[in-house]
Amino acid sequence: MIRVLKRYMRLYKAFFYQCLKEDMIYRSNFLTLVIMDIGFVCVSIILFKVIYGHVNTIAGWTFNQSVILIGTVGIVREMAYLTFRRGFLELGNHIRTGTFDMFMVRPIASGIHLGMRHLSISESFGEGMMGVALVIYGFIHLDTWSWIIFPLYILFLLNSLMIYYGFSLIINSIVFWVVKSQELNTVVYFFMETSRYPGDIYRGIGKVIFTFIIPIGIIATVPASALTGRLGFNFAVLSLFIGISFLCAGLFVWKMSIEHYSSASG
Amino acid sequence: MKKYISLFHINWQNSLQYRFSLVVYIGGYSIYIGVLLYLWSAIYSEGQSVGNYTLSQLITYYILQLMINSIIFSFVSWDVIDNIKTGNFSNFLTKPLDYYMYWFTINISGKMLEAVFIMITAGIISIFVSDYVSFPQHLSTLIYFIISIILGIILAFEMDFCIGMITFWLTQVRTFKYMLQTMILFFAGAMLPLDLFPPLLIKLAEFLPFRYLVYFPISIYLGKVENPLPSFAILIVWIILFLVLSRILLVRGIRRYEAVGA
Repeated sequence: MIRVLKRYMRLYKAFFYQCLKEDMIYRSNFLTLVIMDIGFVCVSIILFKVIYGHVNTIAGWTFNQSVILIGTVGIVREMAYLTFRRGFLELGNHIRTGTFDMFMVRPIASGIHLGMRHLSISESFGEGMMGVALVIYGFIHLDTWSWIIFPLYILFLLNSLMIYYGFSLIINSIVFWVVKSQELNTVVYFFMETSRYPGDIYRGIGKVIFTFIIPIGIIATVPASALTGRLGFNFAVLSLFIGISFLCAGLFVWKMSIEHYSSASG
Repeated sequence: MKKYISLFHINWQNSLQYRFSLVVYIGGYSIYIGVLLYLWSAIYSEGQSVGNYTLSQLITYYILQLMINSIIFSFVSWDVIDNIKTGNFSNFLTKPLDYYMYWFTINISGKMLEAVFIMITAGIISIFVSDYVSFPQHLSTLIYFIISIILGIILAFEMDFCIGMITFWLTQVRTFKYMLQTMILFFAGAMLPLDLFPPLLIKLAEFLPFRYLVYFPISIYLGKVENPLPSFAILIVWIILFLVLSRILLVRGIRRYEAVGA
């Protein structure tokens, strides 16, 4: 187990440097991407600010706490780009042109290899940095806090990343059947966009759907709840359970789907 | 005219291939509206109110905004950019087709199918959230609404075409386009109703033409515009201005065109 992990760490490092080199070729692109990212995050903040211009809280969340939600989405996104996200964006092309073969014949798990082959440092860098800044900003404005919230925040960030990965595996697996992937990526994009709203807004059937089936009520809300000290023990355990379930479900669906892959290059 | 009709027909056939999109559309938009319904219900249930909107007016706003986003906004500039960048544009210079009219036709025929998709979607969503959907009281409101949408389609196309024309001067136009698009959506009222903005932003939005794309038609629908005729006049002036701009950019662009890769 540890040997396998070590091997993947070594591979990750190699891929990381390779992708970093690819990124470095387009240095001016990097700057525009960062500026664009910061612009997009600013638009989200302005929108929240406008809503908070009319109300004091949304389902109990103040503006400063909502800033932590926006920031957390940014951090999870950047973590995803550093691990798997861009691989899924390229998946449609690989399948259409048949280059997905490459991922099938190598002695690495294809779902991990795909992500590592397309690591991106620049793609979401601006949003990630903005995310860290926003979370710090929100944190400074907290009334009370204790040391325990830091490890909890990081634990639930990783949990959210796991959910995001599982969800991406499930949704993007559809591409093996329909070949066209544009819409699927849009679905995953909106999955993260709508995660900015606190999970506490959902009631009744919506609570069930947006916790268990489309867990946008968890991705940002649970880490941010941990940081703002509003996370109950039961819900914390439940979200870890959901994280593991999503990862397992994702890997299962992925495994089934690649069996459906028929190479195109011949 | 006949050549544009057959062009319309061919593109319509092409778009029909993507029926899978319909499933994603209906699923995705329903969930999106569901999320917004929960968000605004939570806000209103705490006894708070937002501007002079009732909850059902806001939900109606968002459903209409989704429809309008699909029907009004043109996305041909992606293809225009590709077309100029790859040098395929050279083909058009030799054909008896007007470049502007070509893309206008492509846009309209692509939009028709999307319009059908989105009407079905909006219809289904409206049944689910029927308590939160409001309908106009007078027939005239509906007629004004439809006119404003048709004019919006034209204006949005012209803006999009102008963005595409930038490719003649700037090859790295994509990121630039993303930023412009976000700004347009923001000031069009596609993210939030414009009258909820702080006073300074409202002033700015009123001055810009983008509000005619989303906020203006929806305001008519919701009965928030007493007499839309003066606004129609301004809208038509904007349409003429952007038409002239598109034409100037096209003529100047062709002069600069280098036929890359051809």
